[in-house]
Amino acid sequence: MAGKDNRKEVIRKLKGLGEDIALSIESDKVPKMKVPLRSFSNIQFDKQSNLLRMGDKTSLRNFMNVAHTKKFMQTMLIASKCEELVDRDKTASIRELYYQLKHTVAGTKENTFEGQDESDPLIVDLETMLSVLREELHLKADDKGTIIGNIVIEDSGDFIDCSKLGRSGLAVPSIVEQYKFHEVKADYCLVIETGAMFDRLVEEKYPQKNNCIMVSTKGQAARGCRRLLNRINKELKMPVIMFTDGDPWGYYIYSVVKAGSMALAHESERLGTPKSRFVGMTVTDVEEFGLEKVTEELKDVDKKRISELLQYPWFQTKEWRHELKLMEEKGVRIEQQALASKSLEFVAEEYLPEKIEKGELLP
Amino acid sequence: MPEKEEEEIKERSADDLFKDFKAVSITEFFRKNKAHLGYSGKLRSLTTVVHELVTNSLDACEEAGILPDIDVVVKQVGEEHYSFMCRDNGPGIPEKHIGGVFGQMLAGTKFHRNVQLRGQQGIGVAGVTLFAQMTTGKPVRILTSTGNGKVNDVKLLVDVTRNSADIMENNVINQKWRGTEIHGELKGVSFNLGERSPYEYIRRTAIANPHAKVTFVDPEGRKSVFDRTSKEIPRPPKEMKPHPKGMDTDDLLNRAKRSANRSIAGFLETEFSRISKAKVDEIQSKINFDLKKNPRKITWPEAEEITKAFVQVDFMAPPVEGLRPIGEKQIENAVLKILKPEFSSVLTRSPTVYGGGVPFQIEVAIAFGGNAGRLATGEESEANRVEVMRFANRTPLLFDAGACAIMQAVSSVEWKRYDVKDFESTPITIFVNLVSMYVPYTSAGKQSVSAEEEIVKEIRMALMDVGRKFQRYHSRMRREIEREARMNALLKYSAELAAAVAKLTGRDEKKLAKTLHILITKKLKLEYKAEMEGAEASEEEAPASLKGESEE
Repeated sequence: MAGKDNRKEVIRKLKGLGEDIALSIESDKVPKMKVPLRSFSNIQFDKQSNLLRMGDKTSLRNFMNVAHTKKFMQTMLIASKCEELVDRDKTASIRELYYQLKHTVAGTKENTFEGQDESDPLIVDLETMLSVLREELHLKADDKGTIIGNIVIEDSGDFIDCSKLGRSGLAVPSIVEQYKFHEVKADYCLVIETGAMFDRLVEEKYPQKNNCIMVSTKGQAARGCRRLLNRINKELKMPVIMFTDGDPWGYYIYSVVKAGSMALAHESERLGTPKSRFVGMTVTDVEEFGLEKVTEELKDVDKKRISELLQYPWFQTKEWRHELKLMEEKGVRIEQQALASKSLEFVAEEYLPEKIEKGELLP
Repeated sequence: MPEKEEEEIKERSADDLFKDFKAVSITEFFRKNKAHLGYSGKLRSLTTVVHELVTNSLDACEEAGILPDIDVVVKQVGEEHYSFMCRDNGPGIPEKHIGGVFGQMLAGTKFHRNVQLRGQQGIGVAGVTLFAQMTTGKPVRILTSTGNGKVNDVKLLVDVTRNSADIMENNVINQKWRGTEIHGELKGVSFNLGERSPYEYIRRTAIANPHAKVTFVDPEGRKSVFDRTSKEIPRPPKEMKPHPKGMDTDDLLNRAKRSANRSIAGFLETEFSRISKAKVDEIQSKINFDLKKNPRKITWPEAEEITKAFVQVDFMAPPVEGLRPIGEKQIENAVLKILKPEFSSVLTRSPTVYGGGVPFQIEVAIAFGGNAGRLATGEESEANRVEVMRFANRTPLLFDAGACAIMQAVSSVEWKRYDVKDFESTPITIFVNLVSMYVPYTSAGKQSVSAEEEIVKEIRMALMDVGRKFQRYHSRMRREIEREARMNALLKYSAELAAAVAKLTGRDEKKLAKTLHILITKKLKLEYKAEMEGAEASEEEAPASLKGESEE
C-alpha cells in the first residue's frame, strides 16, 4: 500500500486543485479546470510497447458553461471527499463514495448525483487530471474475478494458498498492490472469460494436470484483475494465455487485457499485459474441430462491432485481421461452452492442451 | 298542392297586378336582400342590429363633433326572443326627421358620395325597425332630443306601402337631455359570446374607435365597459375626386358621359384629383385625338387611349384628406387598454390607390400575450389562440372571413420567419383596418373585402413590418428567459461548489459562496450586455437582409 509520503503528495495535489479554483473565484476569474480527453481521438497505440497510450489533448471544464456546471461541481465534491479519505487513511468503494456524496442540492429537487454512472467517470477524470492512481485516492471498485492454482499470495500478513481454496478460488480485489507472490509452481497463467468455463476447467482439474494458474475475468476484466495479470506476467515472467468466446466482444476483452482500455489509457503501463497471447475461440476452430453445428449467427450489432475492431490500430496484425474477416465472411460466432457438444471433458483434455502445446496461439 | 294552385289561376288585369306592387316592394326588397343586408342566421341578425345601431350613433356623434358615449343592452325575453336598447349622447334628431331616419328605407344621406363613412348602403337603422316589425309585429320606441329641453318619445313602424314611417305615438316630455335612445324586440335570433357575437362586435368597435366609450350589458346581465383612450374626435371626412392612376376605361367612359364639362380637357382637370392644366397637356401629347372634344361624345377607343396615358404620366399621390385613419397612437392606446398585451406594435402605412384610382390606407397592429388572441374553450385546455380582427373604416367585419383580402394577406405572411412557430395556437391578435372612401366589399353584406391586388399587398407589407418588430421583441424575450435559466443553473450549484472547495482548502464557506455568487452575476451581466450590443447591431442590418421579401 502507498506510504505516508505518497499520501501527503496526493493530499497536496487535491488541495492544489481546490486552491486553483478558490484563487480564480477570489480574483474575479471564471473557475476552470483542464481535463485530459479520454476519447478515441486522444488515444494512440504505441507499437513499441504494444500498449494504448493517452495523448495530450485536454478539454476545459468551465463552471460558467451550463453544460459543464454540474460536472464541475461534482468533480470538486469528489476531490473534497477523496482528500478526506486519504487524510483519514480510509478506503471507500466507488459505490460508497457515490452514496457519501449523494444529497439534495439546496433549494431544488435535484440530487448532487443521480446515479453512480455520474460519479464513476469523474473519478477517472480526477485520476488523469492529477496523475494519481485510483488507489492513491483511496478508492476501489468492487471485487471481480477469481484466481486458482499453484500460487501462494501474501496479503496484509496472511498467506493464501490458491491451490487449497476448493472449487471457488480466491476473489480478486480491485486493489492488488499489496500482494506479494510466494511459492509459484506453474508454467503459464490461463485467463478465462466466463465463470462457467472456469468452473468446468476446475472440475476437470485442469490446473493440476497442466501445471498452470487460472484466472477468470467474468466478462470484461476489472482493474484489479488486469493489474494482477500484469504483475504475474512482469514479476513472475509467466506467460499469460487468454481463452474467450469466439465473438467480437470476447476479442475486445482480450485486447483490453493485452493493450489496455481507452478509458484508462493513462494506466496502460500498469494494467496492460502486452505479451499475453490468445488461444481461442476462433472461427478457424470451428472448421478445425468440426463445430459448424453449434455456431450462432452474428447479429447486426456484432457485425458493427467487428468493423469497429478492424479500425483499431491494435487489431492490425495479420492474424487478427484474418480472424475478424473470416468471422465477418462466415457470419457466425462460437461460444466457449459450445465445446461441450463434443463432451464435457473435451475442452480440458483435448482442445486447450493440444492448442497450447502446439503453440497455436494468436498474438 | 301545385295542381290545386293551377286550378285557381285566373287572368288578372295589369291594374290589378300593380295595385299591391308598392306595398310588396319594400318588404320583398328586404326579404330578398335579407342575406345581403346582414339579416340571415339567428346570431348574425342580432349582431347586425347592434352593428346598425352602434354605427348610426358613432357616425352621428362624429359628424356633430361629440365624444361618443354609447350604451347597448340586450335582454332575453323568451326563446329566440330578445329585446335591445341602444342609447347615445349624440346630437339627437330633430322631430321632423325622426320618421326619415328610423322609418324610411334607402333614405340615408350617405348615398352616392365619395365620402368615407361607416354605412354606405342607406338601409341602416330603418332596416332594424323593419326587421323588428317583421319578426314581432311590434313598433320600435325612440327617445330623442337635440338638447332643447324637449324629448320626443316616439313609437313607429315602417309603412311598407309608402316606404315611410308610420308614427303611432309621439309624446313630448320636458327634460334637459341630449341624445337618442332606441328600444325594440326581435324574434328568431340568438345570442352567444363567440367570435361573431354582438359582444365581440362591440369589443372590436371599442378598439377601432378609441374616442368612444361603449358599455354593453349582455342577456346574462354581465356589464362590459370599454372606456375611451383618446379624446380626439376623428376629423369629418371630405368628399374626394377619383385619382387617375388605376382608373379603368369603363369607369372613365361612364364618368365622361355624365360630365357637364364642355371639353374632355375640362372634364379631366375638374373631375379628377391631381390632374393640372400641365398634366392635361402631357396627356394630350400622348394621344391621337383632341381633348377639346365634348366628353359626352367620347368613344371607347378614346377612353382607352386616355387610361393608357394615365399609366405613363406621373401624378402626385392622391390627396389624403378624405381618409380618416385611426392613427398609430390611438390604436396603440386602445390595444394596450383592452388587450393588455405583453407586446404590441402598430403601423399606419401611407395612403395609396387601388383599382379605379381609389385612395386607401392600411393600419395594422399586432398584440401578443395578455388578453390578446381568441380564447379557445372546449378543448383540452383553455388557451388563447390567434385572432384576426378585420375592420373597414373602423367597422368590425365579423362574417365571411374566407374570401376577405385581409385574411388572404394574413395567411400570405410566413409567420415562421417572424418567430411565430405555430401561428394558429399563438396568443396573438392581429388588427387590420382598411381605410377608404369606397371599400370594395365582396357583397352587399359588407363583411368581406374583395381581394384587390394592391390592397392585399399593402396589408401584407404592413403585417411583415409589425411581424419583424414582434420577432425582435420575441427573440429578446427568449434571450431573457435563457439568461435567467442559466443564472438559476449556476447559482443552484454554486453553493455546493463553494462548500467543496472551502472544505478542501480550509477557507470560510460562506465567504467563498458569496464571492462566487458575485462573480456569477457580474459575468452574466457582462455577457448579456455584449449580447445586446451584438443583437442591436444585427437588428440594424435586418431590414437590408429582408429587403428581398419586402420588395417582392
